[in-house]
Amino acid sequence: MLINRSVFLALVGCFLYTVMFNSVYAQQDEKNTVRFKAYYTKIMDSISYFNVTVFSRIDKENVDVANAELTFYNEVGDEEFELGTAKTNMNGECKFVLDNLNKIKPDSTNTYNINIKFKGNDAFKRASKSLSFKDATILAKLITKDSINYISGTLKDTSTDSVLSDRLLNVQVQRLFRNLRIGEEFNTTDEDGTIIVPVEEGIPGVDGILTFEVVLQDSEDYGTVRALVKAPIGTPIKDESTFDERTMWSPRNKTPLFLLIFPNLLILGIWGIIVYLIINLFKISKSKIQ
Amino acid sequence: MEDNTKNSRRKFLDKGLKIGIATAIGSIGLSKITGKLNAKNEKASGEKMELMTTDGTIIEVDASEVMEVQHSHDHDTKYNLREGMPNRKFVMVIDLAKCKNALKCQQACNKHHYITGEHAWLKVYKMQEEEDTAPYWMPTTCMHCDHPACVTVCPVDATFKRRDGLVLIDNDRCIGCRFCMAACPYSTRVFNWKEPEYGEEAEVMLNMHHADEKYNSIEYTGMPSKIGTVDKCDFCPHMIHKNELPHCVTACPNGVFYFGDKYEDTVTNGAETLRLSKLLKDKNGYRLMEGLGTKPSVFYLPPVDRLVDFEEGLNFYTNYNSVNKSEY
Amino acid sequence: MEVSKKLVNDLAPQKFGKKGVIWTTSLIIISIAGIIAYIDQVRKGQIVTNMNDYALWGIYISNFVFFVATSFVGAVTVAILRLTKNSWRTPIVRIAEIISVAAIIMAGITIMIDMGRPDRLLNLFIHARMQSPITWDVIIIPTSIAVCLLLLYFPLLPDFAILKNYFSETKPKLSKWYGKLSMNWTGSEKQKSIQLKSIHIVALLTIPVGFMLQTVDAWLFSTLFRVGWDSTNLGAYFISGAAVAGIGALVAVIYIVRRANHLEEYITEFHFDKLGKFLVLVCLIYLYFNINEYVIPEFTSKKEELTHLNHLYSGQFAPLFWFVNIGGLIIPIIVLLFKKGRKPLTMFFIALLVVVGSWWKRFLIVTPTLLLPFLPVQGVPESWHHYFPSFHEWIITLATLAMALLIITVLVRYLPVIPIQRTADEQELLKKEEKSNQ
Repeated sequence: MLINRSVFLALVGCFLYTVMFNSVYAQQDEKNTVRFKAYYTKIMDSISYFNVTVFSRIDKENVDVANAELTFYNEVGDEEFELGTAKTNMNGECKFVLDNLNKIKPDSTNTYNINIKFKGNDAFKRASKSLSFKDATILAKLITKDSINYISGTLKDTSTDSVLSDRLLNVQVQRLFRNLRIGEEFNTTDEDGTIIVPVEEGIPGVDGILTFEVVLQDSEDYGTVRALVKAPIGTPIKDESTFDERTMWSPRNKTPLFLLIFPNLLILGIWGIIVYLIINLFKISKSKIQ
Repeated sequence: MEDNTKNSRRKFLDKGLKIGIATAIGSIGLSKITGKLNAKNEKASGEKMELMTTDGTIIEVDASEVMEVQHSHDHDTKYNLREGMPNRKFVMVIDLAKCKNALKCQQACNKHHYITGEHAWLKVYKMQEEEDTAPYWMPTTCMHCDHPACVTVCPVDATFKRRDGLVLIDNDRCIGCRFCMAACPYSTRVFNWKEPEYGEEAEVMLNMHHADEKYNSIEYTGMPSKIGTVDKCDFCPHMIHKNELPHCVTACPNGVFYFGDKYEDTVTNGAETLRLSKLLKDKNGYRLMEGLGTKPSVFYLPPVDRLVDFEEGLNFYTNYNSVNKSEY
Repeated sequence: MEVSKKLVNDLAPQKFGKKGVIWTTSLIIISIAGIIAYIDQVRKGQIVTNMNDYALWGIYISNFVFFVATSFVGAVTVAILRLTKNSWRTPIVRIAEIISVAAIIMAGITIMIDMGRPDRLLNLFIHARMQSPITWDVIIIPTSIAVCLLLLYFPLLPDFAILKNYFSETKPKLSKWYGKLSMNWTGSEKQKSIQLKSIHIVALLTIPVGFMLQTVDAWLFSTLFRVGWDSTNLGAYFISGAAVAGIGALVAVIYIVRRANHLEEYITEFHFDKLGKFLVLVCLIYLYFNINEYVIPEFTSKKEELTHLNHLYSGQFAPLFWFVNIGGLIIPIIVLLFKKGRKPLTMFFIALLVVVGSWWKRFLIVTPTLLLPFLPVQGVPESWHHYFPSFHEWIITLATLAMALLIITVLVRYLPVIPIQRTADEQELLKKEEKSNQ
């Protein structure tokens, strides 16, 4: 009898326990997990920023998570300093800008540690991701030798001020949509951490000014570093559009002169005669004297 | 007797005129006042907007809570919409050697422009000049000609050529005479013969667009299409504005479409970025119907050294259909 | 100039008999049906037609071209015959002017039916671009309407005065209207000199305006790249075609009016003979242009031209093409070359053939070219490869034709179809000549 009762109680207890847990799990099961893709980019002598994409795997498909509020923290040792927040757009992307690297502190290994946290909302669970990077510097400049133009770039680790050799740098000229590559696809820095790439002739640019970029793309320890060089070595762009000319396809304020003058003269002439004829009608009407 | 009638007539006219003017002024005043009142009321009550969440449910949100999307301000975004972006001339290069008639370009264009007629803006033709010559697939968009026949014949300036090379249509001005359609030798223009039917999803998207004034401009012509007007490929100025490539360029899985600025001498298909002059020289680029003198802005690269047989594209070829309505 | 009572009796407008009432009522019914169909088109959009992105112009446009062509009859008979001093034209000029007015007014109305957004009609005036051939059309059609109306009105002034007197007892209200319209005509020297000068000016003006109207109409097509339209021939082609359509319409209408109003004494077989010769002449000129358009391109056999011609010779439009050219052109030429063929009744049937042929000819100019663009027709429904007008299009088109006939009917009912004063003057002159010859 006693055993039966205790077994019964144990069973009830188990039942209740699982029911309680089930309800908790049920709540948690409704929310989806969220994943981050985070990239760090630094533009020399300018801002640094993080591009974060938040997505979730729903029904075996990657779905963008929009309007997710992310908080960025700078982790130094055991402490966490909040840097700010950003919200993802319709495509699940957001950009968090740091005006200056001085705003964050590195740890003892000169590595900056950033935590990105998502508190979660009604549909998604909370999540977080860490991003670590060191600061690198690229010094880029234009060199002209024997009337050939070169772009040179030197890659350094900022904290140790030592050059980084055997790294791949890209050299490109800024264009609309995508930048145009200059030189080889892979330019490896030499012992001095430098690459030098010749620039071909005749690249057009507004007023002949070209903006070159020397880029360390997506490195594991330094993120993406971009150095810009403005050089007036391009061929100036000439606006060849006929927008300001009088053409057959211009709007009416730029009608060809012949079409403005000749038809209007014709119309005036013919309608002048028509008006004269109508006046004649009234003249006839008025002169009724026999 | 006559005098009396004349007087009474005069008085009647006099009165009538006075009453008429008073009514006119009164009603104008009234309508203006009510207009202002209504405007005030709208702002106070807070406009509601319908939005779709990422899991497909439609919710109503107060307009003030909707965040503005960050746009790229890296280039000049302020310009006269009929004049176009300064210092740009947009061109497209279509590599016929790579086209396999996947039709992803057409689907993307149809979807993002809410095309509801029977005639897609982007057509992929099955071409074969003569029995002895090889067949190939040829996608055609609007050529955005430099000597556009369509713009020349428009009687009301509804279609216009911009400084940056784009030929666009103002479908608030178009009178539907279809003269431009008759003039275009590339058969690229379509007409909205009936009221465009959008699916529910598209309606929501379009309502969202209209809530933002930025979208109610000529750059977004064709979205939405209006009955009795002409539409055509627009080189997606709404995408260029955001520094993104037109939809057909990004949708193509084979990298057939290259797009760029001729003045910068650079075109890209998203993955490859090349110098335009070099590309045209190396691959012997040409334009369609060059002899007509229309000076199109779309270059074609001849279908040589093809990786895939022409016949594979026949799987997707539908002679009598180019717009799948089921997408909406 | 005293006008004989008999003359006025014969030429004054007569009341309609039963036939006239049935005719007018049917025209009104058809017109109303057309208006209803048009309202339906405005509400639903032009999807109610069978036009599509390839056959983007259908019978609305070809009907419009037909009306413009027919309105050339005023310029041809009144002005050209006047300049060439063909005095036999007197009894037929009024009818020619009436047909001109009716046709050009209906042309202006018909073109608006084809617009996709008729609510934006004013854009054609506010935002007009002078570079567009449609703008030239928008300018020349109102100009033609004004000139045609003036050409009709000036010679009517003395006739209105005569009719005012004629109806003063039997129909006082009508007589008052004639009086108002006659602009106080008394036949004084001053009035006559102004009137004759005005007629001379307007008759001269009709010629360049008429030629410009037909040419602008042709340029709507020849300023485009399409095969079959891109022809240097098209301006002169349209002018000669307009002469054919106009004179054909003139003969048909004259025959009916002559019988209805018993005008056999005034419009004699001699007039039909002359008109027949005139019609043959313009048909031969038109045939010459047709050969240039439809036969000569076979010589070089350019692919595009050949496809277009085969489309007409042996394709879906073949039956229509051969009917139009043989029935509407060759047979009339052959018949009219013989004196027997120029008898009134024969000429009536020939004229009907010519008019119907002309109407379908314009359809052959507009739509077959559009169905053969430069790039292949792919990716569109199968029905888009052909075109035959829909029910709405037929009703609306028939209604416009009915309205044109209605305008002619109303004008024939209330205007003297043969110029009374002028006929009287000519008869006087003839009598004087006979006397002096004796």
